[in-house]
Amino acid sequence: MRCSVCGREAVIKLRHAGLRLCPEHLVARVEKEVASAIRRFRMFSPEERILVAISGGKDSLALWHILAELGYRVDGLYIDLGIAGYSAPSREASEDFARARGLTLHVVSLAAELGASLDELTRLARGKTCSLCGTVKRYLMNKLAWEGEYQALATGHNLDDEAATLLGNVLRWDEGYLARQYPVLPGEGKLVRKVKPLVFLSEREMAAYCLIRGIEYLYQDCPHAEGARSIALKDVLNRLEDRYPSTKISFLRQFLKVRDRFRPPAPVVLHDCPSCGMPTAAEGPCRFCRLKDTVARHASRVTEDRGAAA
Amino acid sequence: MGILKRKGEAYTVPAGKTLEQALRELGILPETVLAVRDGRILPLSHRLEEGEELELVDVISGG
Repeated sequence: MRCSVCGREAVIKLRHAGLRLCPEHLVARVEKEVASAIRRFRMFSPEERILVAISGGKDSLALWHILAELGYRVDGLYIDLGIAGYSAPSREASEDFARARGLTLHVVSLAAELGASLDELTRLARGKTCSLCGTVKRYLMNKLAWEGEYQALATGHNLDDEAATLLGNVLRWDEGYLARQYPVLPGEGKLVRKVKPLVFLSEREMAAYCLIRGIEYLYQDCPHAEGARSIALKDVLNRLEDRYPSTKISFLRQFLKVRDRFRPPAPVVLHDCPSCGMPTAAEGPCRFCRLKDTVARHASRVTEDRGAAA
Repeated sequence: MGILKRKGEAYTVPAGKTLEQALRELGILPETVLAVRDGRILPLSHRLEEGEELELVDVISGG
């Protein structure tokens, strides 16, 4: 198998792109696609400061590497969620990556910010773990990007992630989510702009990119993700892609052409949380502050019980 | 015989088959893994050699 660009031995065939690529040209394609998505969706300019949400996985580390290589002013943010058997190695992979490249990584701990790790929160609060995780991560990422005066928050969502999210939204005909699904979400007030520069790159390309570039990422999946709906959606799409190449890229690209037809049920009016001052869609304390209150009330009950027992 | 290692499991496959054929026979969608030997990616058209050991890296992340 020969590289479509240079004719040397190819290591990967990208059926959705009609390409066979050698390591050098796979790297070139990935970096070009990232640069192209940034330009096309006007994600950010070279003068702006970018914060990349880092998980220790292939996509976020590769994104950080590429943005730094492209010369952007980019720092990383790692949120230590306190997930047993997972957070420690993912934090280590993130810190090792930053140290080896002389990049700045901000590390925050959910236990310090909320008063409980994700494992503890799951036992105390109502809601599924992945939903709680999404809530606290979105809040902390935005808060830290805002406080750190970053103009954009970049995440490593790739083509497979976006196609799976789209399928999930379509299966529910969730117009609000469909209207908001886009590679760039503009900032508003204290809501920092959110961008997804890997939107048109497949997981396979990103994993290959990391292997070729020598990016050591955490292979392990989050233990809470087992049985997650997003994995089932990805599986369906991968089976379709196997039989009908380009299913995922066509699904996403065609959606982006018609996305304007979807409207959120009602315009979202942002309020300042009376407790932390960060934006929230409803009046009163934001979801993060309400979770924080739940954790604090539990801690207070435990202290009282211990006092009574003594 | 060749050996494909994935997540701590080892699968024995006949030499002479391509990676794609071997993966399909194991019920693994070829596009969901990368086969690696000595840190280098091998194409799905690679024919397994006698005694060859390859690592399969899952490319689909969860959550």
